[in-house]
Amino acid sequence: MQNIEIDIRGQVCPSTLLFALKEINAHNGELRDKSVILSFLTDNRDAVVTIPESASNMGYAVSVTKREGYYVIEVRKD
Amino acid sequence: MGLAAGLASGVVMHRSDFCIAGMFRDLILFRKAVMIRMLFLLVITSMILFEIARQAGFLPLYPFPLLYPPTPANLIGGFLFGIGMVLAGGCVVGTLYRMGAGSVLSAVAFGGLIGGSALYAEVHPSWSAFVKATTFFPGKITIAQVSGVDPIIPLAAVSAAGLFVLFRWQRQGLLVRRAAVQGYLQPWKAAIALSLTSTASYVLVGMPMGITSSFVKIGGYIEQAIFPAHMEGLSFFKAVSLKYTYPLTGVYLQGGPGPVADALAVIQFPIVAGIIIGSAVSAVSLKEFHLHFRVPAKQYVSVLAGGVIMGLASRMAPTCNVWHLLGGLPILSISSILFLGGLFPGAWIGGLILSRVVLSARPGMEEAEGKLQCKI
Repeated sequence: MQNIEIDIRGQVCPSTLLFALKEINAHNGELRDKSVILSFLTDNRDAVVTIPESASNMGYAVSVTKREGYYVIEVRKD
Repeated sequence: MGLAAGLASGVVMHRSDFCIAGMFRDLILFRKAVMIRMLFLLVITSMILFEIARQAGFLPLYPFPLLYPPTPANLIGGFLFGIGMVLAGGCVVGTLYRMGAGSVLSAVAFGGLIGGSALYAEVHPSWSAFVKATTFFPGKITIAQVSGVDPIIPLAAVSAAGLFVLFRWQRQGLLVRRAAVQGYLQPWKAAIALSLTSTASYVLVGMPMGITSSFVKIGGYIEQAIFPAHMEGLSFFKAVSLKYTYPLTGVYLQGGPGPVADALAVIQFPIVAGIIIGSAVSAVSLKEFHLHFRVPAKQYVSVLAGGVIMGLASRMAPTCNVWHLLGGLPILSISSILFLGGLFPGAWIGGLILSRVVLSARPGMEEAEGKLQCKI
C-alpha cells in the first residue's frame, strides 16, 4: 500500500480543507481499492477538526497523530 | 486590564479556533453551521449579560460611544468586510490570534489591514459626506430608540427566542464539536468566556472590546514617518471621535484615529498585544509554533488584498465585526444589524473568489462540495 504525503502546512483557511477534498477525490479509486493512504500534514488547528469531519462523512476512516509541531491526518478506506 | 482581557481572549480563541470569518465562510461554502451557532450563542449571552449589567446600573453609557445611527454605509461596509475577511483567512481578531500562533500569511494580512485602514483617510471626506447624507434615523441607534420603547422589551423578546433555539440545539447535541486536536477548548465555552470579557470591558471602560482603531493609529504612525507633509493634510487623522468622562470611574476619555497616545490607544493597544501574545503562548505551550513560508504565491496575494479590503471596510462600515457583532448586536443596534446583513453576501463573494481564483480548485471542488452537501 502506497502512502502519499501531502504537505499543506502554513496554508490559509479554508484552502487546507479544499486541498484535502481535492486530493481525496483525485485518489478516489485508489483509496477505494486500498492501494493508497493519504497523509495530510497540517499545522492548522481548524483543519485538524474539519478534514477528519469531512473525510469521515465521505465514508473514509481517519486517524490523527501529532508530530513535532504539526498534525498528520491519515485518510484510508477500511 | 486590557492586556489581561487580550491575553485571555488570545488563549481562548487559539485553543478553540474561534474564527469568525470561518464561521460565515464555512456556512456558505460548505453548509457547515456548527461554528456560526457559537457566534449566535455569543451574541445572545452578551445580550443577556449586558442587559443585566444595565439593569444593575453598571452601564451608564447606553448605547456605548463610537456606535452611530444606521446608514447604507453599514451594509456596504459589512459587504466589503465580508469579502476581505474571507480572502484574508480571518477577521480582525482572527488575523491577530493566527499571527500570534505563527501564521506567516496572517502576518501579511495584518500588514494589509494597517495599509487599508490608513488608505481610508484618503477617501474619508467624500465617504463621511455620504454617511451624513444617508443616515436614516439621526440621533437614534438602537431598535429600542427608534421604536421609542424601553430597551428591555426588544431585548427580552430576542433573547427569549434565542434561548429557545439554543436550548433545542443543545438537546440535539449541535453545540459540541468532536476534535482530535490537542488542547482543544469547546467553542461554546469560548463563546461564553468572550461574552464575559466583553461585558467586563463594557462595565469597566464604558465600551465593549474594540481593536481596529489601533490599526488606524499604527497606519497613521507609519504614514507620519514616511509622508509627514501629506499626512498633515488628512482631516481624518485629526478627528476626535471619543470624548467623555466615564461616570462609573470618573476617568476622562478622549481619543481619535490620529497617531497619538490618547485614551483609545491606552484601551486598545494592550488588547491587541494581549491577543497576539496570548495566542503565541498557547501555541508554544502545545509545541505548535512554527513558521512556514513555502505557501503558494496566490495565497500571499489573497491575504494581502483581503487585509487591505478589510482595513478599508472597517473604517467605512464604520468599525469592524467585533465591535458590531460582539458589541452592537447584543444591544440591537440597527447599524450592527445592517453590517451583519452585508457580511453574508460579502462572505459568499469572498468564498467564490477564494475557491475559483485563488485555489483554482473548481474541477475537484464541485465534486467535493457535492459530496459534502449530500453527506452532511
